[in-house]
Amino acid sequence: MTDASAAARATAARVKACEDRGLHAFYEWSEEAMLAQVAHAHGDGPLAGQGVAIKANIADAHHATSCGSRILEGWRSPFEATAVRRLRQAGAFIAGKTVCDEFAMGSSTEHSAFGPARNPFDRERVPGGSSGGSAVAVAAGAVDFALGSETGGSVRQPAAFCGVVGIKPTYGRVSRYGLVAFGSSLDQIGMFGRDVRSAALLLSAVSGRDERDATTLDRVPLPEPGPAPTSLKGTVIGRPREYFPDGLHPGVRAACDRALARLRDLGAEVRDVSLPHTRYAIPTYYIIAPAEASSNLARYDGVRYGARQDAPDVRALFRQTRGHGFGAEVRRRILLGTYVLSAGYYDAYYRSAQRARARIAKDFADVFASGVHALFTPTTPTPAFRFGENTADPLAMYLADIFTATANLALIPALSLPIGRDGGLPIGGQLLGPHEGEQTMIRVAQALEAATEATAEVR
Amino acid sequence: MSVTRADVLKIAQLAELHVDEAAAAELERQLTRILDYVEQLNELPKDGPVEIPRPDVILRRDEPDADPLAAPPAAWAPAMKGGLFVVPRLGELGGGDES
Repeated sequence: MTDASAAARATAARVKACEDRGLHAFYEWSEEAMLAQVAHAHGDGPLAGQGVAIKANIADAHHATSCGSRILEGWRSPFEATAVRRLRQAGAFIAGKTVCDEFAMGSSTEHSAFGPARNPFDRERVPGGSSGGSAVAVAAGAVDFALGSETGGSVRQPAAFCGVVGIKPTYGRVSRYGLVAFGSSLDQIGMFGRDVRSAALLLSAVSGRDERDATTLDRVPLPEPGPAPTSLKGTVIGRPREYFPDGLHPGVRAACDRALARLRDLGAEVRDVSLPHTRYAIPTYYIIAPAEASSNLARYDGVRYGARQDAPDVRALFRQTRGHGFGAEVRRRILLGTYVLSAGYYDAYYRSAQRARARIAKDFADVFASGVHALFTPTTPTPAFRFGENTADPLAMYLADIFTATANLALIPALSLPIGRDGGLPIGGQLLGPHEGEQTMIRVAQALEAATEATAEVR
Repeated sequence: MSVTRADVLKIAQLAELHVDEAAAAELERQLTRILDYVEQLNELPKDGPVEIPRPDVILRRDEPDADPLAAPPAAWAPAMKGGLFVVPRLGELGGGDES
């Protein structure tokens, strides 16, 4: 047996162990698919012999790209994502497709059409979403690396809930060719790792200009991460007061206070700052993202690919196919998006959301221009919630993204890392950097990670 | 902003999405609640830029790309005949008043 096939078999055993625990991180995986891939693997790249789990909305050749939806159940893409191609070039293979909220719309994986993933720390709690399966796959040790996607926090929020690291790169850093579109002005592929270095290594492997995605930045790939700095002297960390409201969960607050103390111990200057338009992020997001989704999801009509409901005429075919193929949350967002874009409402909703978005972005630009190198905030307002806790009220679920959606709106990079536990549940701390500021953000995260008791209770 | 049953049915029609009666009632409440929440954007001044400064999108040359698909459309289309996608008759495409 070659080293590569041994690596594939070992990964298959780890994935099986994860799924045998009932965590349901994967929609689809097989040892055969892993072995078939490593037969052609490059042997010497930075990810040689590594199995990478990918979210079910990223196209690869060996598994269905269902997006967690009945409308694409079993659908195999005839091409692969640029990120997947780059993983192969780095020596990796795809370990399987992970569970997500349908079309990446959700914060818990409860909107998956094929059942949710479960949080490895408490199986009665959600893993976060929408890239929950990828977070679980890393947290449970099935793989060391996973890709997800972000439109409003769908990598960082599950990373925080599952005690792993999640990165949302600068908009345009990673090609979206082969990522199924949701909100095109927001979408970005993101990375999960057991530590900052793993997630950053994965980012370096998939980053860089791609002719097939015109929105990618004209930049060479990011370098591989260096060693963790032992001092942050000269680094200014902003603490935006809007992310520490009076009602913040006490465990989350305690973990953040401890992390901020560690940043000071490392020599960083922690400065109180303000991002005054933060409270408008969720209302802005829930106009822009559904508007774009209603347009992007118009392509699922039962004509060219995917599921079809037979009907006597073509219009009934569209309506029946879409009405039955999409789940409740996707239908809700399509209708919301259609509403805010419809004649008479465009200026009142979409235009005003665009203006608010520009103000949110300017808040960040102003703070970074004032000499702040990175911002530190909680990733989520609470630790992982229970199944069913937020499903009755869509708005309550939307508020789970209150600290993460800002980075997507402002196009800037952000990262979540574990900073402690409360009642056994992981808590995530978030670092945000300026546009294209991944490398400083990652260095700060590495230093904080080395200095933080991430698995210790905070109170 | 109160969303009515008629609004829900109208946007469902625009979105080519079948919505049954029970779902329409629920959507009426949920969309009203969400739109009430986003109303807070009206607190912001009505002027200011709508675009975020960002790098230009770089378009590739408009030439055919050698990216052969792993399988032809016939392999994934719900129905195909003679190289064309098969659909039922067009029906009332232009009217927009179909129930």
